[in-house]
Amino acid sequence: MGDIILQTTNLVKRFPVGRSGTFVNAVNGVNLSIRRGEVLGMVGESGSGKSTIGRTVLRLTNPTEGQVFFNGQDITNMPNKYVRPLRKDMQMVFQDPWSALNPRMKVGDLIAEPLRIHLDISRSECQDRTEMLAQRVRLSTDFLNRTPSALSGGQLQRVCIARAIATNPKLIVLDEPTSSLDLSVRAGILELLQELRVETEAGFLFISHDLGTIKLISDRIAVLYLGHIVEEVPKDKLFSDPSHPYSQSLLSAHLPSDPNARLRRLTLQGEIPSPINLPSGCSFHTRCPVALPACKSTSPKAEEISLNHLASCLRLHDGSNIIPRDQK
Amino acid sequence: MPAVSPTNVRFSTRISNRLRGVSRLSPTATAGVVIILMFGILAIFSGLFMTHDPVSAYPDRILQSPSAEHWFGTDSNGMDVFSRVIYGAKFGFGIAIPAVTISVLIGVPVGLIAGYRGGILDEVLMRIFDGLRVFPSIILALAVVAATGQSLINVVLVLGFLDSPVFARLVRAEVLTLRSSIFVESAVAAGNPTWRILFLHLLPNSIQGAMAQTAVRAAWAVRISATLAFLGVGIQAPTPEWGAMIRQGAEFMVTGQWWVAIFPGIALIFLVFGLNLFGDGIQDILDPRRRVSK
Amino acid sequence: MSLLSVSELQTHFIFHDIDNQLREACALNKVNLTLNRGEVLGIVGETGAGKSLTAQSICGLLRPPARIVGGSVKFDGRELLSLPDDELNAIRGADIAMVVQNPRSSLDPLTRIGEQLVRIHQTHTGGSLEISRQKAMEMMQAVGIPDPQGRFTAWPHELSGGMAQRVLIAMALMNSPKLLIADEPTTGLDVTVQAQILDLLRGLVSRFDMASMIITHDLGIVAHYCDEVAVMFAGEIIEQGKVRDVFLKPAHPYTQQLLAATPEQLHLGTKNQLGGQPPDLFNLPTGCLSQDRCPLATNTCQKKPPMVKITSGHNARCHFAKPLKTSRGKKNG
Repeated sequence: MGDIILQTTNLVKRFPVGRSGTFVNAVNGVNLSIRRGEVLGMVGESGSGKSTIGRTVLRLTNPTEGQVFFNGQDITNMPNKYVRPLRKDMQMVFQDPWSALNPRMKVGDLIAEPLRIHLDISRSECQDRTEMLAQRVRLSTDFLNRTPSALSGGQLQRVCIARAIATNPKLIVLDEPTSSLDLSVRAGILELLQELRVETEAGFLFISHDLGTIKLISDRIAVLYLGHIVEEVPKDKLFSDPSHPYSQSLLSAHLPSDPNARLRRLTLQGEIPSPINLPSGCSFHTRCPVALPACKSTSPKAEEISLNHLASCLRLHDGSNIIPRDQK
Repeated sequence: MPAVSPTNVRFSTRISNRLRGVSRLSPTATAGVVIILMFGILAIFSGLFMTHDPVSAYPDRILQSPSAEHWFGTDSNGMDVFSRVIYGAKFGFGIAIPAVTISVLIGVPVGLIAGYRGGILDEVLMRIFDGLRVFPSIILALAVVAATGQSLINVVLVLGFLDSPVFARLVRAEVLTLRSSIFVESAVAAGNPTWRILFLHLLPNSIQGAMAQTAVRAAWAVRISATLAFLGVGIQAPTPEWGAMIRQGAEFMVTGQWWVAIFPGIALIFLVFGLNLFGDGIQDILDPRRRVSK
Repeated sequence: MSLLSVSELQTHFIFHDIDNQLREACALNKVNLTLNRGEVLGIVGETGAGKSLTAQSICGLLRPPARIVGGSVKFDGRELLSLPDDELNAIRGADIAMVVQNPRSSLDPLTRIGEQLVRIHQTHTGGSLEISRQKAMEMMQAVGIPDPQGRFTAWPHELSGGMAQRVLIAMALMNSPKLLIADEPTTGLDVTVQAQILDLLRGLVSRFDMASMIITHDLGIVAHYCDEVAVMFAGEIIEQGKVRDVFLKPAHPYTQQLLAATPEQLHLGTKNQLGGQPPDLFNLPTGCLSQDRCPLATNTCQKKPPMVKITSGHNARCHFAKPLKTSRGKKNG
């Protein structure tokens, strides 16, 4: 694995709600880092802030507090005109391929667009590269002259991926890239992404709500709840050894397709609180089955449990963070 | 995928199928197109249809009622009303098309920039355009044309400028919605400079509403220029423009020579009607939700 | 006699396109299924398979250009397809209730939720307002809405996704339905809320002895919350049976592909050739509908494949499906 390509320190993002003076606290102090060639999976439910983090690190929206370092450079407050040329090296794949592509542009032009913007190459070279990109993502070059409406979801997502890798970026953020796709199509896209991460040595930030998908492609996984990373762990350890109570219940809610698999049901009560009114102390305390009175007032800091395994929970020390199996 | 393979169906059959499909989709648009085409042919090939020279006066045939010789009768100068009505179609199109083009060329870029940038620029531009809209356009047009001189070009310029807020508003409204859509965000993420976002991404997707309005605004331009001529501003007799003809013929309505004003009036109504039908019907074709499916 | 018996149901989309050509899409191709009280049937498939269309056809909720062109839907002994509108309206919303995804778009944004519950009860069951209100409170409690008294006057936009879905389920239960159809009831809801809603549905089905149909693309939901499953492709049910039988010993290649594509079964880097184009409903092939993307397809597949009985209650529509010998447990093709 290569150098650190992306790093955030204490990243905070708040969105004002109309003119009411209240804020949506989307991201509340996130520290993450990604190296080249590494896939960091971010998993969380609604209100977790995962999509916002993806957009903020690419400066598609501006951080409220904290810092974002891209390739060693502080891009937190960089004026847009300097950020723009950096986009050659940081790209994004969006969730919904139908709405992520200009419906009135030809597919070939859409793939070639980053080439035309960032590289100074001739028209014919551009054409050649576009065809190579289409072949790389296993998209028939017949489609290059069509508009997006003629392609299926899986094909469109391949277009988006081709567009994202066109300029050989060092960082790619993928925001739920397979969630809108049919099951059998997802597999093909994930295969493609796995090949690409090996080939391009880019750092991947893979955002998803689906644990199964995250498990397949990530090296490390960050579990998010209400704008905090509650646990950050190498992939296999998350599934064998989840530490944070939220991670444990998230895992238990995942439904495998094997009817014989025993479900460890840790059904949480209530719903996710609104990011407008964050709970005090540990934001998970309102639903946590093992919450202590202290959890209401103290925000736990991230602690290292073992190598590369961090979690934020007051109960880590005495092992009482593990929810008993028969708890409902 | 089209049901008909292009290679094994004759071109003319495909055209007629498409026409039938479109007319089924929107009878309104079809009716409108027929009317507009009719006037268009009259305007371009007026020579074929006119029975007399539109500006030749026959002093001995003043105010004759419709007859076999003069189908629509003659006016107070002895000119043949029928030929003048046919010739007048040229003015209908000759004013409407340039005027609408000017409106589009001014209004669309303003709408794009105001909608995308927002902020102060948007406020200022929209207030200016609001001001223009609030003013009764006839008064404004009258004032400007009277001040700058009575010519066709002035009328076209004034009308074009006065109507641009309509297009600006339409485009701006679309852009306001589109600017937060994902494909625009994707374009920003790819590194597009602002001008590419405006003209390659936003423009093609925000222009449909404006394009649909062109026919309706053309109708407005025809009406207003006729009104101006009727009021004695802009085009004057003996130019065979419908508004001027109506003005000329108005005084004879009381004395019973109805044909001088009525025929150009009917032509005017009919063209405006056709343009409005087309403009309305095109919405049916462009907006899938308005289609009556059967 | 089954509560619901759908036989040879065919629904087509018929319209003139912009070239004035008549187009016909065969969206449902002779669908057969039965359902009894206390049973939960999962209908699973990908986009375009016809899952929602099946539910809409059963409830008579089709809009032009969709049309039922053949088959029969018998509910509680009555043939629904030949019922006049007012009789169908009486059944729909009362005996047959439907819960859809995007709960907030199904609720009237301008009416308080308690009022909506009362309204639907009044429409079908009638009686005094007081009784309707009491039933509404009961149902709100049954679906786990905290503080029903207080929530009675809530507006739909005040509810979270999970709450709104509970309200929809309460609405469906107001008239004591015999059949509850849930079309992607948890899509768009958080995974932790999904678990609550699914547990709730299962509890209600057994408590009120209803028949239930869950339509979903999520195999995990079917694996753990359904008794029976019907796998759909291109408007046909290509395999059906008890969930254990179908998921553990899938007989149809498409079902096998689908199960192999779930994240747990997927192994990246092995170059699986999975997936393919969604079927073109305007141009279905003769014979087996999945022949264009099936790895086992041969010339035989140009003939319509028979429904092969794998075991009792487990069928698959494939030329290569073989019945399972129950005692020896021989593997099928």
